Amino acid sequence: MFKKILVANRGEIAVRIIRACKELNIPTVAVHSNVDTESMHVRLADESICIGSHKPQNSYLNIGSIMSAVDVTGADAIHPGYGFLSENYHFAEIVTKNKIKFIGPSAEIMKKMGDKIEAKRTAKKLGLPVIEGSEGNIKSLEEAKKISSNIGFPVLIKASAGGGGKGMKLVKNEKELDNSLSLAKQEAQKYFLNNEVYIEKYFEKPRHIEVQILSDKKTTIHMGERDCSVQRKHQKLIEESPSPVLKEKTRQDLLNKTVEMVSKLNYEGAGTVEFLYDNGKFFFLEMNTRIQVEHPVSEIRGGIDIVKEQIKIASTGKTSLKQSDITFRGHVIECRINAEDPSKNFQPSPGTISVCHQPSGFRTRVDGAIFQGCKITPYYDSLICKLICQGRDRDEAIQRTQRSLEEFVIEGITTTIDLHKKILGHKKFINSDFDTNWLSKENFY
Amino acid sequence: MKIDKKIIEELVGYLKEFNLSEIEYADGTRKVKVSRAINNSSIISAEVNEKKTIVESNGTNVTSPIVGTAYLAPEPGAKKFIEVGQKVKKGQTIVIVEAMKTMNHVPCTENGTVSKIFVKDGEPIEFGQPLISVK
Repeated sequence: MFKKILVANRGEIAVRIIRACKELNIPTVAVHSNVDTESMHVRLADESICIGSHKPQNSYLNIGSIMSAVDVTGADAIHPGYGFLSENYHFAEIVTKNKIKFIGPSAEIMKKMGDKIEAKRTAKKLGLPVIEGSEGNIKSLEEAKKISSNIGFPVLIKASAGGGGKGMKLVKNEKELDNSLSLAKQEAQKYFLNNEVYIEKYFEKPRHIEVQILSDKKTTIHMGERDCSVQRKHQKLIEESPSPVLKEKTRQDLLNKTVEMVSKLNYEGAGTVEFLYDNGKFFFLEMNTRIQVEHPVSEIRGGIDIVKEQIKIASTGKTSLKQSDITFRGHVIECRINAEDPSKNFQPSPGTISVCHQPSGFRTRVDGAIFQGCKITPYYDSLICKLICQGRDRDEAIQRTQRSLEEFVIEGITTTIDLHKKILGHKKFINSDFDTNWLSKENFY
Repeated sequence: MKIDKKIIEELVGYLKEFNLSEIEYADGTRKVKVSRAINNSSIISAEVNEKKTIVESNGTNVTSPIVGTAYLAPEPGAKKFIEVGQKVKKGQTIVIVEAMKTMNHVPCTENGTVSKIFVKDGEPIEFGQPLISVK
């Protein structure tokens, strides 16, 4: 097992990883920026080290500083968490070259799955259904026209190196195609230094469903699916498992095909394969080669500590789990509590938390990094904690989540707690009659 | 603890010299605070006085509606939103303030000419902090 793990992250996920390390008796190192000195992850870790200023480029994204921190503290493994450097294959390469273990898959697989055109090609080759569209980079307007008329408008132009909606263009008809294509290429070049774009069929009312995977080079198991269709600005807000819209036959097909694909990848660690689901069919979207924000949903439903499993696989190269070790129980819902004002189009709401009371009770879990008096700075992501509740069935899970939201008190900043109460009480959520575009259309305020 | 009279005398001197009502001095393990009652109308620190004159002689301040990191251009290396001496209109973007990975365009609240830019590119700024002055 590792002698010391450096956690190259901050906030709730850093706290989550430190907790797993403590239970495994592995000493931890927290790295932090100069505005995070008083943060929870710094307080909980065995050692901490300041690696730069408030700007992420100077601290949490600064590979040189992080490698120096590894050197100074004598850590022999790095857990990257999510965001920041977690999907940077260049970082994984440097870590490995320095004989430090990167807790995650190989740099080679990260690179392969990080490029969207390449990932789609790989997924298709390994038996997953993909969204109809171009096989690769679009080279000319003629090619774009031909492909678009074949699949029918509207279509979506996406950047191969893209993410977060940047460089993504919705094209409603052929007239718009010329303009949108050059705009998408320009944006892709600007943001990702790679002007490759591809075209896909656009779905008006899709759901977002993903499969949690744990794998070593010989065994791949799944931990069920998560339905993450409640989204704001293309970002997930509520996740649940199982998906209330999947028929049992489709679910088994989805899980089996995903396991088959990942087992052929030679994948090591935890990962998530994301799908778009529409009208009874699922299509591969992308693969995230890291731990995800919503991993507790699967942990609770499947009864396995995913972060500990990541560390064990990284340390021994093997998973001790078999598919039959995973038994799913009940229904789990997670609400992301963000420091933002949902009544003002999710405007960020940094500040000091003056009063903080977090819910507890039967089958209620809160993963966070907040406490009374802590400062929520404007320099990082707005996610401050997550509420995860389990019920025997979906109805009980909703009731328990509502009960826990009612108990939650956070004063001094505005959060999404109030919006969650409204969503969970909404007829459309209760009937599971929604898609990824629902939140932007519904008036909650 | 032995009280060092010299320090107190020195601090009292500063109180009078800069017309302050209170001064605190810390040095390693030692902290000394000296305060005095003065005529209400004269309680304006030298620093505040100075700031006020800049604002008054140069026009109206546009302040930040949000705490975050200020950027003077839409992206690194690009042309700045505004320069001193440039004409600006109400509603025009003057800076971007990044808060929680969201880029917030700050609009100008006045019509006129930019007389001063108070913030530097990449500088952390607070809510209500003056960004520019418009004449």
